[in-house]
Amino acid sequence: MAIGFKSQCVPTYRVLTEDQIKEIHLATLEVLEKVGVRILDEEGIQLLKEAGCQVKNENVLQIPRGLVEESIHSAPSSIQIYNRKGNEVMQLGGDHVYFGLGTDLIYTYDLKTGSLRRSCLQDVVNAAKTGDCLEEIDFIASFALAQDVPTNLMYIECFKALLENSIKPIFFTAAGAEDLSVILQMAEVVAGDEARLREKPFLIHYSEPTSPLSHSKSAIRKLFLCADKGIPINYTPALLAGATGPVTLAGAITVANAEALSGVVLHQRRAKGAPIISGFVATTMDMLTSTAVYGGPEFRLTHSACTDLYHYYGLPVWGTAGASDAHCFDQQAAMEATFSILMGTLEGANLIHDVGYLGQGLIGSPATIVMGSEIISYVKRIRRGFDISQEQIAMEVIQKVGPGGNFLTTESTRRLHRQEHWRPKYMNRDNPDMWKEKGSKTYGERVTQKALEILETHRPEPLPDSVRQKLEELIKKAEKSLMGIKFVV
Amino acid sequence: MPLFEKLIESVIQGEEGSVRECVQQALSDHIPVKEILNDGLIKAINIVGEKFKKSEFYVPDVLWSAQAMKAGIELIQPFFQKSDVPPLAKVVIGTVEGDIHEIGKNLVAMMVEANGFEVINLGVDVPPERFVESVRAHQAKICMMSALLTTTMPTMKKIIEALKEAGLAGRVKTMVGGAPVTKQFALEIGADGYSPDAPGAAELAKEWIAG
Ligand code: B12
Repeated sequence: MAIGFKSQCVPTYRVLTEDQIKEIHLATLEVLEKVGVRILDEEGIQLLKEAGCQVKNENVLQIPRGLVEESIHSAPSSIQIYNRKGNEVMQLGGDHVYFGLGTDLIYTYDLKTGSLRRSCLQDVVNAAKTGDCLEEIDFIASFALAQDVPTNLMYIECFKALLENSIKPIFFTAAGAEDLSVILQMAEVVAGDEARLREKPFLIHYSEPTSPLSHSKSAIRKLFLCADKGIPINYTPALLAGATGPVTLAGAITVANAEALSGVVLHQRRAKGAPIISGFVATTMDMLTSTAVYGGPEFRLTHSACTDLYHYYGLPVWGTAGASDAHCFDQQAAMEATFSILMGTLEGANLIHDVGYLGQGLIGSPATIVMGSEIISYVKRIRRGFDISQEQIAMEVIQKVGPGGNFLTTESTRRLHRQEHWRPKYMNRDNPDMWKEKGSKTYGERVTQKALEILETHRPEPLPDSVRQKLEELIKKAEKSLMGIKFVV
Repeated sequence: MPLFEKLIESVIQGEEGSVRECVQQALSDHIPVKEILNDGLIKAINIVGEKFKKSEFYVPDVLWSAQAMKAGIELIQPFFQKSDVPPLAKVVIGTVEGDIHEIGKNLVAMMVEANGFEVINLGVDVPPERFVESVRAHQAKICMMSALLTTTMPTMKKIIEALKEAGLAGRVKTMVGGAPVTKQFALEIGADGYSPDAPGAAELAKEWIAG
């Protein structure tokens, strides 16, 4: 056997070579330095000016490469995320892969009626419970948009529902810095106080720059608020190739990367060493229907490139998978979820959101989350690979059983089958008669049933009463201070 | 190739320079402006629309044709008053206050323009007052509002009401759209029209103007 032989084989995948990474990185730096980015916030402009950026015109600033490199260095390469109870659960960075839900879906594909309807707060509760119960879901998010709650309180009520129905880390959006600051106060109450929340964050805020190459006032205010408080923020653009970015994938990647890295610069200049998860989505706009594509092959290619880039930078990287363009939970949904989860896992993105997303980011389906969890489990088995050690090759067993024997009764089969062979939870492996006997159910029917069962039987660990009370008080106050006011956009 | 055939082909191919040449030629041949518009430019863009419906053309193809057509219209516009061509109907469009999604709105603006309207694009995060002012100042026939957030959709209702209060109700038609907007919602807030996509918006606008 060769010296230094590694017996564990682990399938991984990358799309860019080191030279190609450098090529894109240099192009990104050139965009930042020559084209610049539009900053729609006075404080943001001031901060960049002080950091040595040139004002190209009015609110477009050119960022020198030294500043970009410096910010990439000062941002942490790994972020520890805790759950609501203060246990370490996600180490974002390197090639650790975690999966979770997305946010803000307007419609819900109803489990009981099998039809589309507008989402409400109960759907957020349902998503939290579902995510809490499924072991492959590492973090939760609102999933649905609570349209039965007054606008300015929507994200606050969602956050409360998430806190109450799961202990898993929370990935969340907000309408503006106004409601975000209330949400952070709520999180402080749960953690104990501001310092303890900073020390053991169980939440990640999600905000985004605007493609092409712009940062809205609201996005910058959220970015700064999180930077100041040391709350992990996921600041990542969603570019549509051919519409808000170049039609070519390399061009789209370059522009989206410039948007993401200018976010890192703003963030690190505001608070050196504060936790940020970066990266981008660069998908296509469908040139016939003019819709934003969530399940296409280009999405996967550009995202694999994104992950390669951020592994090279040594920054935690965001991802998207388990999502589909299909409007209902059907074969297309399964196909697109599978491809994306497979590629997202093999490329090694850290914080992969949007499991269970349908209808191009407009429709949520709890059954699709359950399906996603099984695909994740399947794919993680692939990623674990297998061991080629002497023991695993099992020469002795092979000799013992010999030609014509059977391996079913060997000690090694009994001892190792559980760890070697992956076991499905909802997928069908019955023989035809058994399948008929069990009601000839499709995969869709089985996971829908599982999703319903979770909602009926899963009891998440409740928040302590004292905490609940304090949250109520905060929300009462927010009702007074936020109702009717206009948020900065 | 006869002049009009070339003009139409140039619009279809999105060749701006060639469209300008053809229109110049037609003008110096004293062909009536109305004819250049109806039998040339509009005929061409209708063919483009048909091709789009049959998935022969994609959105970028349509937009190139639209731009080429616009170049032609710019050349003949100064002669509209002298001929019997009515001025182009004006459309005010914007993304409503609180909302910065602009891709869909801009697509609608381009498609509408491609169908022979003059479009006043107010941009994003537009407060109701600006819609009203703009409709009044330009005597716009149609006011189009885009919203991509359920949270900003209610602002469309405010704009429709503000237009009424400003006494513009009978004079301007309102059209709403954006991913979360539905026909049902449009009805509820008293909008005159709705379309799920840009070609539909242009189609409806044309119907309205045709009476
Ligand atoms: C791209 C995008 C963004 C970009 C926009 C970039 C830009 N320059 O416009 C950025 C990153 C800035 C963004 C920001 C946000 N976004 Co956004 N975004 C999208 C996304 C993925 C695609 C939208 C798009 O451009 N589609 C392509 C265009 C061509 O389609 P379209 O806009 O629908 O337009 C077509 C039709 O609707 C129609 N139409 C449009 N307007 C009009 C007008 C008239 C009169 C007519 C007749 C027809 C019509 O014709 C168009 C062409 O066919 C959607 C998801 C989706 N599937 O829609 C989310 C989505 C709309 N965003 C969403 C959210 C939550 C946000 C943020 C609040 C996130 C955050 N917390 O920061 C912010 C809000 C910022 C703000 N205040 O506006 C949610 C909305 C949920 C809700 N509340 O209703 C969505 C649905 C995604 C999701 N589920 O999370 N977003």
